[in-house]
Amino acid sequence: MPIVEKSLVEGLERSESLQVEGIDVSGDWNTFIASRVHTDLDLSIVDWVRGQPQGATIDRCWQCGTCTAGCCMHTDYGLEEFNPRYFIYLAQLGYDKELARYAQTVWRCVSCNKCVERCPKGVKVEEVVHSIGTYLELTGTAPKSPADRFDEAYTRNLLARGILDEAGLFQTFEAGEGRTLPTGEKLRMGLRLLLTGRLHTGPLAKRTRGWGRLRPVLERMLSEDLARRRQDLPARLPPKGGP
Amino acid sequence: MNPVLVLGGGPAGLSAAAELASLGAPVLLVEKEEYWGGNPRRWHYSLLAPDLLPAEEVLNPLVSRVEGAPLIERHLRTTVSRVEPLSSGFRVELKGPETSGWREVSSVVLATGFDHFDSRRKYEYGYGRYPDVIDFKEFEGMIHDDRLTRPSDGALPKRIAWLLCVGSRDVQVGNPWCCRMGCAVSIKQAVEVRQKHPEIDTYVYYMDIRTYGLWEDLYWKSMNEYGVKFIRGRIGQITQAEGGKRLLATGEDTILSRPTEVPFDMIVLASGMEPGTGTKEAAQLFGLPVGPEGFLTPKLSDLNPVESGHPGIFLAGAATGPKAIPDAVTEGMGAALRAYKHARG
Repeated sequence: MPIVEKSLVEGLERSESLQVEGIDVSGDWNTFIASRVHTDLDLSIVDWVRGQPQGATIDRCWQCGTCTAGCCMHTDYGLEEFNPRYFIYLAQLGYDKELARYAQTVWRCVSCNKCVERCPKGVKVEEVVHSIGTYLELTGTAPKSPADRFDEAYTRNLLARGILDEAGLFQTFEAGEGRTLPTGEKLRMGLRLLLTGRLHTGPLAKRTRGWGRLRPVLERMLSEDLARRRQDLPARLPPKGGP
Repeated sequence: MNPVLVLGGGPAGLSAAAELASLGAPVLLVEKEEYWGGNPRRWHYSLLAPDLLPAEEVLNPLVSRVEGAPLIERHLRTTVSRVEPLSSGFRVELKGPETSGWREVSSVVLATGFDHFDSRRKYEYGYGRYPDVIDFKEFEGMIHDDRLTRPSDGALPKRIAWLLCVGSRDVQVGNPWCCRMGCAVSIKQAVEVRQKHPEIDTYVYYMDIRTYGLWEDLYWKSMNEYGVKFIRGRIGQITQAEGGKRLLATGEDTILSRPTEVPFDMIVLASGMEPGTGTKEAAQLFGLPVGPEGFLTPKLSDLNPVESGHPGIFLAGAATGPKAIPDAVTEGMGAALRAYKHARG
C-alpha cells in the first residue's frame, strides 16, 4: 500500500539526484509499507527449541507475564525490548520475522533467574530464552553483533598460536570494525598497559608446546560442535554465518 | 404412592430415576427422543473431559441401572402435552407410541437439558457452507469413530483450529453467558487428535480459557504433553482459500497486536449451550419462570438448586444452565431426594 505521509515509512530511500542509465530517478523510493497481516504459522522454531536441553519447557508458557514483570533487564534496567514472555510467544507460534527483530536484544539476559523462580508453570524461562537466542544465532537470522564479532576475533587469535595475543587482538578487531585510534594514542596506551602488566603479548613471551598438533584437533572439535548444533535446524531457514 | 414423573432421559434424568427407584419410589421416566442418554448419546460424545473417560463408560451404567429397575416405567418418543395440578401432585397427559392419556404423578423432576447452539447463526464462520468448518458436537462423533478426514476431500488434515465461544459470550446472538464446557471439550478434542495423530498441528483460538477447578490439569497437559497451541483472539471470519482447498481464518493475534490470516485444513467451532427445546416447553407447560437466558431458575440457586419454588416440581441438570455431566448426575440425585420427600408427604 503506498502512503502519502513519507515520514511514516520505515526504510524510506530518498535521493536528491539519482540517475540510472542516464535517466533521472531522483526522489522518494521504497514508499510502500508492507502488510502487517500475518499469514501463516510455522512450528519449526518451537520444535527445534523444544528439542534442546535448555528449551524443553517452552510449551508450558501461557503468557501471564510474571517473568517479564520481575525481569531485571526489562523492569529494573528498563530495556523495554527485552521481554522474555514475548520472545517465548513468538517462538511458540513461529513468528520468525518478528522474532528476528530481537536477535540482538535476546542476549541481554543476565541470568538472575528470578523468572525461573517465579514462573507459575515451571517454564525455565532463562534457559528457554537462551535457546531461542541460540536458534537465531545458528540460523543467521540476525546480523552479528559487535560482541559476536569480538568473540570470533578472539577465537581466531587464540587458535593461531595457542595463546592469546592481546595486542594483536586489539589490532585485528579494531581494523575489522573499521575504526582506528590515532597511532600515537595507541602506542601510549599500549605502553602504559605493558608497563603495568595489564597487556599480555602471549606469543612474544610464551609458547604453547605442541600447538601444531593440538590446533587441528581443536579446530575439528569446534566445527563438529557447530555442525551438531545446526543439524536439527528447520530446513526453512538454511544455516548461514555463525562463529 | 403415585409415581414421580422424570422428564428427560439424559444424564440428570437417568440419575434421578435410578436414585428414586433405589429409594423405593415408582418412577415414570419420559424421553422425547428414541434413545436414552440425551445429548451425549445423540452426538456420540467421545472421551469426556477432564478425565478422558469414554462417554459409554459413564452413560451405559446409568442406562442399565434404569433399565434394570422394575420400579421405573420407561417411555421413549414420548412427551407431556398437558398438565393439571391436583391437591397433591399433578395430572399429566402423555403422548407417545406406547402410552397415551392422563396419568397421576406425585411430583415432577424436570431434567429437560440443553441444545447445542446452531452454529449456522454465526454466518461469518461459514458453518453449513464450507464442509470443513465443523461444529464440535459433530467432531465428537468423528473422533469417536476415528474418522478425522476432511468432509470436503477425505484427506487427513495437517492443521486444525478450534474456535471457542461460538454462540457463547456474544450479544449478537443473544447469548451473553459462558457455556462452561467449550474450553475443556475443545482442548480435550485437540488432545485426542494429538494422541491419535501427533503429526496434526492443533491450535485453539481463545479469549479466556475457563477450564475451571481441577479441570485445569487438562489444559496444562494439553500444552506440556501434547503441544496444543493457544492463540489469544477470536476469529472474525472464515473464508475459503486456495480454490476452496483450505479455510482462511481472519483474526487478530492480540498478543502480537497484529491481524492474521491463517490457512487451516479444518476449523472446529465450540458451539455453546442453550436452553433445550424440551426445557422451554416444560417452562410453559408447568408455568415456571425462566431467567434472562431462558434456562429454568431454581428458587434458591445457592441453598437449593434443585427446587423450582413451585411445590412438587424439581429441577436437575442443564435445564437450569450449562453443566457438566458429573454436575448433572449429582443434581439428579438431589432432585430425586427432594421429589421423594415431597411424594411421601
